[in-house]
Amino acid sequence: MCGIAGVTSFHPIGDRLYEGVHHLEYRGYDSCGVAFLNHDHIEVRKDVGTVDEVNVKENLRHLASHVGIAHTRWATHGKVTRENAHPHQSCKGDFAVVHNGIIGNYRALRDELVKAGHRFRSETDTEIIAHLVEQRFTELGDVERAFIAALRGLQGSYALAMISTHDAERIYCARHESPLIIGVGSESNYVGSDFNAFIDYTKNTVILEDGEYSVVSKDSVSVKSVRTGDVVEKTITVIPWDSELSRKGGYPHYMLKEIHEQPQAVRSALSIDAEQIDGVADMMTAAHRVHLLGVGTTYYVALFGQYILAQLADMDVPAASSDEFRHLDKSDTHSLVLAISQSGETYDTVMSLRHAKARGAKTAAMVNVVGSSIARLVDRVILQGSGPEVCVVSTKAALVQMILLVRVAIELGTRRGVLSAAQRAEYEAALAALPGEIETILNEKSGLIRAAAYRHAHVTNWLFLGRGIYYPIALESALKMKEVTYVHAEGMPGGFLKHGTLSLVDNKLYTMVFVPPPSAAELHAMTMSSVEEVKARGGFVFGFNYDPAEDIFSDRVVLTSPHDLTAPFLPLVCAQLFAYFTATALKRNVDKPRSLAKSVTVA
Amino acid sequence: MKALVLTGGAGRHLVPFSVSRPKTMTVVAGGSLMRRTLTHLREAGVTDVTVVLGQNGDKVRATFNDGQDIGLSLAYVEQERPRGIADAILSARRRFNPGEYFILAYGDVVTSANPFHQALQSFNSFKGPIAGVCLPGPPTGRYGNVYLSGTRITKIVEKPTTKDLGNYVLAGLFVLPSETFSLLERFGDMEKVFGTLIESPSLNASIWEEGWMDVEYPWDVLAANRMVMDTWEQAEISRNAVVEGNVTLSGPVHVEAGSILKSGAVLAGPCYIGRNCYVGNNVLVRSYSSLGPGSMIGYGVELKNCVLFGNSKVGRLSFVGDSVIGENVDIGSGTMTINENLDQSRVLVDVLGETVDSGLAKLGAFIGDDVKIGAGNTLAVGTVLTPGTSLPHHATVGGGR
Repeated sequence: MCGIAGVTSFHPIGDRLYEGVHHLEYRGYDSCGVAFLNHDHIEVRKDVGTVDEVNVKENLRHLASHVGIAHTRWATHGKVTRENAHPHQSCKGDFAVVHNGIIGNYRALRDELVKAGHRFRSETDTEIIAHLVEQRFTELGDVERAFIAALRGLQGSYALAMISTHDAERIYCARHESPLIIGVGSESNYVGSDFNAFIDYTKNTVILEDGEYSVVSKDSVSVKSVRTGDVVEKTITVIPWDSELSRKGGYPHYMLKEIHEQPQAVRSALSIDAEQIDGVADMMTAAHRVHLLGVGTTYYVALFGQYILAQLADMDVPAASSDEFRHLDKSDTHSLVLAISQSGETYDTVMSLRHAKARGAKTAAMVNVVGSSIARLVDRVILQGSGPEVCVVSTKAALVQMILLVRVAIELGTRRGVLSAAQRAEYEAALAALPGEIETILNEKSGLIRAAAYRHAHVTNWLFLGRGIYYPIALESALKMKEVTYVHAEGMPGGFLKHGTLSLVDNKLYTMVFVPPPSAAELHAMTMSSVEEVKARGGFVFGFNYDPAEDIFSDRVVLTSPHDLTAPFLPLVCAQLFAYFTATALKRNVDKPRSLAKSVTVA
Repeated sequence: MKALVLTGGAGRHLVPFSVSRPKTMTVVAGGSLMRRTLTHLREAGVTDVTVVLGQNGDKVRATFNDGQDIGLSLAYVEQERPRGIADAILSARRRFNPGEYFILAYGDVVTSANPFHQALQSFNSFKGPIAGVCLPGPPTGRYGNVYLSGTRITKIVEKPTTKDLGNYVLAGLFVLPSETFSLLERFGDMEKVFGTLIESPSLNASIWEEGWMDVEYPWDVLAANRMVMDTWEQAEISRNAVVEGNVTLSGPVHVEAGSILKSGAVLAGPCYIGRNCYVGNNVLVRSYSSLGPGSMIGYGVELKNCVLFGNSKVGRLSFVGDSVIGENVDIGSGTMTINENLDQSRVLVDVLGETVDSGLAKLGAFIGDDVKIGAGNTLAVGTVLTPGTSLPHHATVGGGR
């Protein structure tokens, strides 16, 4: 997965192209580059490193040009080298291409092109596209016809943008299973993997669908079908987000910013139309079988959903990880697959949804990004409206997804007669109080959690334990820890201890326990017995608990007890902060952890 | 943008150094807190700086003059009587024009990186008043508690009733409109000014996540020194330093121009050797030691986790550990600082007649400016020697417990 940006304009593009690709860095950041038309030839500047680093070496900003494309790479084919960095050029240098995705038949194409005399400079699948277009151009003599002919020969997933000396005014772009959108500005048009590439300049976008390509010039955008060549009528989608929101403001990192945005994000989630919630509840009621799908963080959100739906609606809705779902999928026309994805572009989830759709299943989704692939793919969507999430590590989007699942569960519980009107009112009041409770944690516990994180930053192995609905909380918290600190943390149900893991416990393995409030008596007692088991073997136990009198922990942060329904969310926020502060103590690259990217759009 | 730096803080608890110098002239990692603040301001693009001087303020003026050496244009305002922060800020009023924003910085906090870049970045995104905030390690109740909603500050509790809350606190760095002066004149204290700004237009936090310290007690100097040195990633040896044969350097060792490292010296980074120092034969400089300019370290001395402000001598075969030494101190040969209790209990220090728990198991001595110590002395844990003290040879000094 990578980021693509492009600008064609009546005015110089250097700064806008640079800012565009800079804002896409969260999609990948191991190397980057730009290509632009410089009079009668294409000039490419690229190297290994982040956009800032490459800018210092290659001066990406100062381009005397009106048409250019840029790319920030997250390697899939070929090592991280200057040669493998995008953009890639054809033999004569008259075509330059940037690409996000994987070309499945690139070996066959490469062999064919080598036979035709093309010489390759890199190990990437992308470079073949440039040569392929050049080859077709020599045969057809027209850039657009050559571009379509090349696209028809490609298999796999791609979002790509191309410039050519033979048509010095335009950017050619296309997508298939990888995201690409077009920004429509005044006297300028833009291409980007997402709106971050151009949101400072325009909020008007045209969203390309699979199998469509577009020719973008300074004052017009045309979209056509790759298969038929017919013009496709597109409407302009206006992005509802303010660009200021997607900047750091007064925060040192996006991760802290997004953690601090959670009270507001939860408030927005609670004010989402009941119609959206009811629509999904209708589908769940109608279906014989429902699957909750997610991967990584969203799998843990789905697992949380499984618990909360069992608890509040007396429903059995299994959660599945979408990278594995295809191997298990027995859905049929009576099934519903409900997918969860922040970006709405997650490759595994898209594939699982397609698989289920092909078997006749109904589909629904919760996504954050308007106009994303999943949002358009499913029968019904809840737009979570959490605002842009820039940090690679998901915090607010995941919390909001859990809140929305609680809302769905309350609705279903009411319909199924599990919840009385009084209980429903009580739960809704508890949810309404949650933003204030999170704010109190951010204000009054941050310092305590930071001090604890710094005290324990030397620890290299953590067990995160939870029981019941605190189990997915423990899993999600452990994932935050791993992602951002590179410290090993394993989420586990408390009951697993006795079945193997206790053998690991010593004074070097630290355990973090998510303790329910004492009002959840049974769960509380079971969790505390896990604490005793670890303590008895000399293990260090760090607790997030609710009872100040409960003093058996080696170290702890005591929270103020809210309603049992919302109690799991408070230690989750604490664990996000704990992971964040541990990462700053260890001087990690918080917003862009190594080897990770925000939306995983490759297999 | 112009800046206003307050240096009037006397830092009474910072014994024995507060007697002879303002807190801002305390030295960590080879530079005074004031030098760090001014350098950070220049790096952030600020050139016009007004400094409010308090007690012993002439030390600041004598060190920085017109600021040319640092690349700044410095102006000084003297606070005639120590009458608090509000008075200090108002005394500089005529240096600022109506309608402009300015940086207000306390000259006595230490940060591990430049906080002004981020504050100005925050200012650019909010285009309104900014207060730098941070989480100051374990809560002490020493600082006012800041409440946030997003980055918007909703209230500031100056004197929190409970000490166990982990709030963000004011970090001593602000970007404020010049109307602050008239508000301050009206209300008389900054707390009310902030209260007004919170209401209208708004006061936004710039959250500082790097190291931050308010140096209150003398042992905080050692912690601040460590905090800064921990950010050093490589050795820097001036081309104008002399490193004789058989000198061992490891880790981030910084050696400034004009210094001599004699044969047999062993230096373990991070450590700092200022300009024109002499490090004698077989001297062991262990990590987190900072030698200010003109320090003379005699044959066979061991230095460990200690800060020497500068122009001091440590005579041969001495041990100085977990200690802070002021300027122009002369330590006779064979002097030992004892740095731990026999039972390894935490060191207690007498601060202005009050016994204070340092929280540290290892702590040596705090020796004020211009102290003379004769040969063959032993200084007990937590010893505090006031400036100008003179000790005869062979006089053992008891200190804390």
